[in-house]
This record gives sequence, C-alpha cells and structure tokens, in this order.
Amino acid sequence: MTGHDLFLPTPFLVICAGLMVMLAVTAWRRSVGRSFSCAVGTLLLVLATVGRHAGTLPEDGGSLFIQDQWTTCTAILIVFSSLCILLMSWRDAMHDRDAPVDEYPLLLMLGTLGALSMVFSVNYMPFFLGLEILGISLMGLVAFGHRPAMAGHEAAMKYLILSGVSSAILLFGIGLAYGVTGSLRFMPPVAGRDVPTALSVVATVMILVGMFFKLSTVPFHMWLPDVMEGAPVPVAAFVAVVSKIAIFSSLVRYFGTGEQPVFVNDILYVVIVLTIMGGNLLALRQVSLTRLMACSSIAHVGYLLIAFICPGHLQSRAITIYLAAYTASTLGVFAVMTAFATTAGPDGTVIAQWKGLFFSHPFLASAMSLMLLSLAGIPPGIGFFAKFEVAATGVEQQRGVLLCVLVIGSIIGLYYYLNIIRVMMSVPSLPPVRVTRHVRPELTALVIVLTIIVVIGGLFPARALHPFLPSPAVASGMRDGTVH
Amino acid sequence: MNPLPVLVLLPVTGGGLAWLAARIRPHSARPSARDASWWTVLATLIGETLVLAMVTFHHTDHAGPWLEHFAAPWIPVMGIAFRLDIDGLSLSMIWLSLVLCFLCAFLAPRQDTTGAGTFHFLFLATLTGIIGTFLATDLFLFFFFWELMLVPMFVLIATWGHEDRQRAAMKFFMFTQGSGLVMLLSILGLVMTHYRATGVLTFDYFTLSRTPLSPALSMLLMLGFFIAFAVKLPVVPVHVWLPDAHTQAPTAASVLLAGIMLKTGGYGMIRFDVMLFPDAASRFAPVAMALGVVGILYGAWMSCMQDDVKRLIAYGSISHMGFVLSGIFGGSAMGMQGAIVQMLAHGLGTGALFLIAGAIQDRMHTRDMRRIGGLWAVMPRLSGTGLFFAVASLGMPGLGNFVGEFLVLLAIWHASPIIATLAATGLILAAIYALRMVNRIFLAAPRADLRPVRDFPARQMAVFACVMAFMIVLGLYPQPFMTFSTPAPLSVTAMPRPEGSAP
Repeated sequence: MTGHDLFLPTPFLVICAGLMVMLAVTAWRRSVGRSFSCAVGTLLLVLATVGRHAGTLPEDGGSLFIQDQWTTCTAILIVFSSLCILLMSWRDAMHDRDAPVDEYPLLLMLGTLGALSMVFSVNYMPFFLGLEILGISLMGLVAFGHRPAMAGHEAAMKYLILSGVSSAILLFGIGLAYGVTGSLRFMPPVAGRDVPTALSVVATVMILVGMFFKLSTVPFHMWLPDVMEGAPVPVAAFVAVVSKIAIFSSLVRYFGTGEQPVFVNDILYVVIVLTIMGGNLLALRQVSLTRLMACSSIAHVGYLLIAFICPGHLQSRAITIYLAAYTASTLGVFAVMTAFATTAGPDGTVIAQWKGLFFSHPFLASAMSLMLLSLAGIPPGIGFFAKFEVAATGVEQQRGVLLCVLVIGSIIGLYYYLNIIRVMMSVPSLPPVRVTRHVRPELTALVIVLTIIVVIGGLFPARALHPFLPSPAVASGMRDGTVH
Repeated sequence: MNPLPVLVLLPVTGGGLAWLAARIRPHSARPSARDASWWTVLATLIGETLVLAMVTFHHTDHAGPWLEHFAAPWIPVMGIAFRLDIDGLSLSMIWLSLVLCFLCAFLAPRQDTTGAGTFHFLFLATLTGIIGTFLATDLFLFFFFWELMLVPMFVLIATWGHEDRQRAAMKFFMFTQGSGLVMLLSILGLVMTHYRATGVLTFDYFTLSRTPLSPALSMLLMLGFFIAFAVKLPVVPVHVWLPDAHTQAPTAASVLLAGIMLKTGGYGMIRFDVMLFPDAASRFAPVAMALGVVGILYGAWMSCMQDDVKRLIAYGSISHMGFVLSGIFGGSAMGMQGAIVQMLAHGLGTGALFLIAGAIQDRMHTRDMRRIGGLWAVMPRLSGTGLFFAVASLGMPGLGNFVGEFLVLLAIWHASPIIATLAATGLILAAIYALRMVNRIFLAAPRADLRPVRDFPARQMAVFACVMAFMIVLGLYPQPFMTFSTPAPLSVTAMPRPEGSAP
C-alpha cells in the first residue's frame, strides 16, 4: 500500500491526534481536570468531523477503511455515548483526590478509538486491532472501581480471560477465512473452486461465534452481568452501549443487510430466540440494577438481531432507530444512576435503594421511569417507535416465531422495568435520610438532554432520525463499490 | 381551526397547567391554594365541552356520517399521519367521557394528601389518551394513544390506590400492554398485506379497509385486534386484571377505568373488528357471543359472592360488558345499537356507583359490606342515590341499562335462542347482586358502632340528579341516542351496514 491510496476517515485522525496530546499532557503534568477537558474537546472535535475523510477511496477495494452513512450514524452514536460517559464519570474522578485517575479518560478515549476503528474498517486488520484496543482498555476501565477493589479486579480478570478466548476464536476464524479467500477483506469468505465449502462455513461460524461473545448473545452471555456489576457505573454504561454498538455495526458491515446464507440464518434464529428469552428471564430475578441492565441489554441485542435478519426496505431504518433508542435510553438510565449515587451513601446499584425516590427526588424518578418505559417500548419514549419498527420488519418477512418471542420477551421485560418504577413509587418506611449530595450541574444537564432526546425522538421519530437513515440501496451500493 | 386536535391536546395541556398551578404555593395549608389546580381542571373540562358542543352542533357543508376530519403528516416515510376523524359513535363516547370527568371533578374525594397537581395532570393525561383512541383513524396513532393512556392510569392506581394498589397496577399494565402487542402485530400484518398488494405503505384506516384479505388471514388479524379489545372490555378468560384494578384504584381512577376505559374496548371492537373485518367477525360471532354470555353469567355470579363493595361493582361491570360483547357480535344493527346504549348507560351507572362506593369508603373507612349497614338512617341522600343506580344496573325498565340489554337480547334471540335465554338468566343474577348490595349497605339494621357521618351535600346531589336525568332520558327516549351514535360506515358510498344487518 502506498501513500496515495491511503484512505482515512477524519474522525479517526482526530481522535488519534487527541490521544497523542492527552498522552503528552499526562507526561508533562498529571492533572485529572486537564485530562478530562482534553478528552471532551477531542470528542467534540470528532463529532464535528464525522463524515469527512482524508484521501480517496481506492477503486480496487484494497482500502482499510470505509466511510458511508452507516459509519457516520454509528460513529455519531459511539462518540456521543463516550461523551456522555465522560460527563458521568467527571465528578467521581475529580473527587478522588488521593488517587489521581487521569488514566481514566485516556483509557476511555482509547476504547472509543478501538470502537471507531471497528466501525470504519473494511479489512480484518483494523477490525481486529480495534477490537483488541477496545478490549484491553476496557479491562483497565473495569478494574477502576473504587468501591471494593476486589470486585473490580475480579470483573476485569473475567473480562480479560473471556475476551481473550473469544478473540482467539475470532482470530482463528479470520485465519481460516484468509486461507479460503487469500484476502483480508471484511466479508464472509466465499470458497473458490479448489477449496472445500466446509472450510468457509467453519470460518464464518467461528467469526460469528467470536462476535456473539462480544455481543453477549445468549449461549455466550455469562460474562456480561458479572463484568458490568463489578465495573464502575459509567464503565458499565460503556460496556453496555459503546462496545455493543461497535461490534453490532461490524456485524452488519460484515454480513451486509441483504439475505443471509442459510446456515447463518439458522444460527441467528436460534441465537435470537435464546437471547431474548434468556436475557429477559435472567433479568427477572435480579436485585442489582446494573445486573438487571446487563440482562436487559442482552435482550435488546436480541431484538436488534431480529431486525438484522429480516431484510427488507424497513430494515436499515429499524436498525438505526433501535440502536439510537437503545443508546439514548440506556445512557439515560445510567446517567440517572450516577446522578442518584452519593459518595458516602447508596450508590444506586441495588434496586431496593431506589425505594420512595418519587417522593425524595421526583425529577430523577420521572426521568428514570421515562427511560425504563422507553426501554420497555411504551410511548412516549423513543423505544416505542423502535420496537414498533423492529416488529414491522418481522411482520414484513413473516417471521412468526421471532414475533412471538418478541411479544413474550417484551411482556417479561415490561414486568421487571415496571418493578423498578413500582419500587420508586412505594412509600419509604423510614423518613428519607438527607444525604448531602454534591451539586452536579453537568449530570442534571445530561439527564435533561437525554430526556429531551428520548421524548422528542419518540414523538417525532421521522424528523429526529431522518439524516441518519442509511437507505439500504445506497449503503450496500457504496459498500459494493468499495469492496469489489 | 380544526377542533379535533384541540379535543385531543386540550386535556393534557390543561393537565400541565393544573400541575403548574399546584406548584405555585405547594406548601400553603389554605385550601384555596390547592384549589387553583382544581379550578384549572374544571376550566379545561369546560373548554373541552365547548369544543365538543361546537363539533356536535356545527353543521358541516359536506353531508355524511363523518362529522370532522383532520390530517397532518407525522412520519411520512412509514405512511403514518396524525389522522383524526369523528363520527356519531366517537362523539357519544367522548360526551360520556366528559360527563364522567365532570362527575369525578365534582364528586371524587380530592386527592390532596400527596400532590394534587400531579394527580390532576395524570387524570387529564389519561383523558387525552382515551379521547385520542376514540378519534384516531390512523392505526399507528390509535395504537400510540392506546398505549399512552396506560401509563398515567398505572401511576394513578399505583400511587393513590388502596392497600394492595401496586400489585393491581402491575397486573393492569401487564395485561393491557401484553395484549396491545398482539394488536400491534395485527396492525402491522394488515399494513404489510396492504403494502404487498398495492405497494403503498400506509396506516390509514379507510385505505386499509379495502385491503384484499384471504379468509384465514383476515380471521388471524381480526383475532389479534380482538384479543387486545377483549382484555380491555373485558371478556371472561382475560378479565383477571379488572377486579383488582377497579377495587384498588382511587375513586376517580375507578370511574375512569369502569366508565370510559372499558368502553375503548367496546369501541375498538365495533370500529376495528366488526367494521374492518366484517366477514371474519361474522364467522367469529358464535364464539364471541358465547364468550359474552359466559361473561354475563360469570360476572354476575362472582358479583353475588363478593363482600367488598367495589369488587361487587367491578364484577357487575364484567357482566354488563358481556352484553356489550354479545350485542356487538350479534350480527344486526339492533344488537350494535343495544351494545352502544348499554355502554353509555353502564358508563354513567357504574361511574356513579363507584363514586358512591368511594364516598362510603371515605366515610366508613371500609369497603367490606359486612361492616357497613343501615346507612339509610344516617345518610338518606347517599342511600337513595345508591338505590337508584343499583336498580338501574339490574336493568329496571325505564332506565338506560334496560334498553341496552333488551335490544341486545332481542338481537341475540334472532341469532341463537339458547344463548339469549342464558343471557337473560344473567338479569336474574344481576337483580340478586344489586339488591343484595342495597340490602346489606343501606337497608340492613344499623350497626351499633355507626358513627355520625355527613350525608351528600345538596351541591353534590344536584350533580347526581343530572346523571339520573340522563339515565332516565336514555331509558325512556333512547331513539335520538341510537340514531346519533351509530358508527359511520367506512365509505359513505358503499354504506355497508354492520354484518348481516336485520331485514
């Protein structure tokens, strides 16, 4: 590859440059505040440059990266989420005077870099590098828990080992795929004349399994609740949102939005049924809110996958709006959780701590209820329209089984979301203890912004989401143009 | 300016204002400060009534059963628009809603212990959802309102209800939302079938009614709608949420639930089951009528067994709604009219009964009939009102329920004499439970520990007198209501009467 056919999306360059600056700043003088400001500035700059690129796309498809509406949409979601998560962790990090945590924003930015790399890649190399960058920085982030350190370390170890295993499977699959096609292009391998078809099937299945591990769909989901529970709340949000969007976006990029091969379809069918039922049933008995959110995020991936295997003219719209709805609502829940947490008192990870919140903090309680109802798919939240779109794709392709599972899963889901609202509504037995709360204007602002996004997105989904919709023809056309 | 969006949006706006009004001086102990919120509610309701009266008496230039039409683009990519239409059926249902809301505003005990403003906001938000369902002619919009009205109602029950409120609220929400999802699949199925046949993606009620459907598919889609409406109405196997929700809800919410929310189920069955899938509905009619009769008998039987006043009324509702179900699927215009009159009469009568039960509970601090007795001696006005509405609910000739039940029975008789006979048995049971209630609460010997309590003041009696007058008019001269509230046919040119109309 020579210089003139180098194609680089600008956000990628900006975030790399920002990371360099942050490293330099850290080396010069350690300061949490400066580190955070740098990170926020970089992310804002990235948001501003999303959709631009440097260099020209080579015609022969030898490019490492790609830029189209799908990358723009997911990149915006990822960067926006990272920004929200940075804001969520700001005060906690500033508060911790004795242990400066200026690595924290650095790791978060590295994770974002990894996620962006996965989003933009059309080659196995940057994809795998991105995956590993994301995984390794996440391991550091998960261990950042300042509560009982052991829990964080345990979660980080768990994550390290399981992520290592899944990466190994993925890498083996990539190796096989390279063996079959002799190319590192990011697409399912198609066996040539002198190569057995079984080899390409095995390669595809291994790559799929690796992705399922990272997406935490049901047979491969065991790590997610443990890791999210052990991690600090904002990092849990990062695991639930950013890494899932990144890997899902790669999944869509890899398999394309059209009709899938039969065996992929069959595997997905089984995985979706298991994921939705498993995730929802697991969530039913949770007493920890982070674990519950982990289980519910498993279920949501299942709903997303329904839209993924129902090709049709509604598909891309459904996927986009579902991703956006999931991102906004989940971030909202975690933002309310961080706003609720106090340094000395309850940290909001146990559902019982939320008792009577409607009486002590009506605003937080209302925002939380809105986010939960949006996740459950009740109007006026954006999740309602998202679930509607996913159901529409299913109906369009007449996937009866999946629709039944969707309905049953939603009813179970409604139960545990409503249960949290019920707890918040029940009258506290003790008079509320006035815990001194730091005034956190940035968190209040964040909650308000997310609330507005969820409500406006729910009431006027067309207006709010029109620019992001990658129409399937354009998206696949661009991809075809670059890949072949 | 088109009145329909105003009708939908006015209550929720007024609710927001009421919430703000309550926040102006939230800690003031003086009642006047609390009443600012209540006055806002009253003003909203009056405004709503004026708009509605305008719609009712405004003579449109286009002749036809649809009185008004409104459409604005909402989500054009999906063919979804903010389409509202009003015909006699919607209009009479909205009138019923408003009358009941006035009743609640005047008579329901003010929930001012915790957040009167929030209570008022939620109350009016529910009203917006309900009126929206009555007006929407875009299936997505209909579903949106259908789901939207659950949330404020859930909060009303869960926060202001009685002792076991949260379980009841959860049950209510889960049942209605779960069945709503089935309806969503049906809606999408219909839309997608239409899309495949014509290449037009739309959620418009009138366009979709012309979708060519195979008999099996139309049955399937009809059933999807039917399940959602059956839960709301309720039809017997899926009525489980109703006794709990009605019993545990605060008085105003009970009135809303029994008086109007159940009617959204009946309305939906007429508008979406019978009119959208006439063939499938006529094939399904025997099952539906049988379910209706089961509901009539089961509800009445259970009602006879109850000791809790509100539970008794709730089971009585199930019984009355059985008549509505049988009438709607009775296969004739007469049955349909009977069902509509029954809905109106039941809304007024049961609403009033719930208000009386609420008033008793406020005064006696119990709903257990074994611990209440001989109220006639201390509260003659309350007891007289109670007697009137109890008698109305058992189907006394001359009152609204009688007309509805009689028409329905007559209509079923044409279809199946056996079912009609069984349904008529329900009237005997109705007499038993209604008179038993009257006997135990009002007429039995006064209990020794009866404390002196306040009877209804004259102001409240005046309000009740209006409702009684409505009931009597509905019972003695129902013809104008029946012609007025006939559902408008889908297309004015085709004029298809409801399936298999009487010769």
